[in-house]
Parts: sequence; structure tokens; C-alpha cells
Amino acid sequence: MILGDLLGVPVYNDGGTRLGRVADARFVVDGAPRQLLAEARLLGLVVSPHSASSFLGYERTELRQPWPLPALLRWRHRGSFLVLWEDVAMIGGQGVRLREGFTAYSPALERSVQE
Amino acid sequence: MTTARALAPPPPLAGRLLDAQLHLLDRQVMDNDGVPVTTVDDLELSGPALDVELAPGTPAPVLTALLTGPVLGTRIFGGRPPSSRLVRIPWEDVAEVGVVLKLGVGGGNLDATWVERWIRDKIIARIPGGRHDPR
Repeated sequence: MILGDLLGVPVYNDGGTRLGRVADARFVVDGAPRQLLAEARLLGLVVSPHSASSFLGYERTELRQPWPLPALLRWRHRGSFLVLWEDVAMIGGQGVRLREGFTAYSPALERSVQE
Repeated sequence: MTTARALAPPPPLAGRLLDAQLHLLDRQVMDNDGVPVTTVDDLELSGPALDVELAPGTPAPVLTALLTGPVLGTRIFGGRPPSSRLVRIPWEDVAEVGVVLKLGVGGGNLDATWVERWIRDKIIARIPGGRHDPR
């Protein structure tokens, strides 16, 4: 599938309650080794309750400057969470449904991987 | 979901984390000589099938290719070109992800650079003096 079709689609829990939209997809480069980089597998989806997309990802980093952009953007993406691939029950063109009892993780990136 | 709450960090992983929007989409792609090739317009995954219930334990899809192509119109008006119109650069060819994406192969033979090759061969080469370096 093409990732652009997944970004921005609504996310629902198993009861049909809307949780937000897919703001981003997180990959981890730890799959089967290749000649150059290892395979990048889909770790999970970043879900944002208030916005269809993420602008510069301030809500996932520790950056505080330039004032007041980080504070504004972090507020815009308040309540964002990361849901792992194991908790995704179905991906469709009209929405993503999560499994019952899914775990919402912090979307923050580790400091070492921030660009 | 509107109240701020402390969420647990995800389980630690050995590999590098890449967020598609933050680290990949819209980044410039350079070939192994540092010559710009294209930008990353979209990404292709190995799965899953749409609107199909995913059984527990289904292996996670992997990134198969960077996509580029004629996306200017769809960037402005929405949608995306048909999959067959997009040019693929296999993930196996990507050597490094940083401020730009570096490929481990030369850009001269990639489908993504055919417009440049066509302009060079069909237009620039017909201009007097267009077949040699400037002196």
C-alpha cells in the first residue's frame, strides 16, 4: 500500500469511538539486513486527536525554540499518542480500527534520534 | 483525549526510529556522488491489504520503496497520481537517512532521473556547443 493513503485517515477504537487521525507512521530500522540499510518495519502509527497532520513534529521532540511556535504546535497536537502495529485491527481506506484494550504510548522520539 | 496525561514510553528498540513525515517525506534524495536525484513524495509499504481484518501476530509491513513522480497537481488539488505513474526507488538502494537521503547507487540509471536524461539528449545536445563542457 502507499503510505499517503494512510496518513490523515480517522482512527477508531474497537467500539467505534473516533480517537483522532493518523498524523504519522513510525518505522524502526531493525528488519532483515540488506546491503546498505536494514529493512524498515512499521512500528506503529502516531494518532493526533485534533489535527490531520503533524507540522515539524514539535510534540515529539524536546525543542522549545523559536518561541512561541513549539508551544503553539504542541498545544495543537495535544493528546497525540503512538499505537503499535500489534494493536491495529484493521486498516481501511476510510479509517483505521484499533484492537480492544490497545495501549497508547508516548509519541516522543528519543533524543538520540532527533534530527 | 483532550486532557494532558502522562503516557508510557514505548518499549525500547535497538534500531533507529524513523517517522515518515519527520524524517523521510519531502526530503531530498542524493545519489552516491552527491548529485540531487529527486525528493521523497511518498512511500510504499509491503502491506497490509486494505479493509481486511488483521489477525493477531500479523508481521508488520516493511518499507519497500521511496516514491516520486508527477505530484505537483495532486499536491495542490488533493489526491495522488495512480500507483502506476509513480517512480519507485527501492529501499535497498538507500544508504543513509539524515538531513537528506543518500542512495548507495548512481542516479544516472534510475527511472527517477529520466526527464533530465531526456532533456540532455533531446534538447541540450541539439544546441550548438551543447555536447561538450563549457570552456
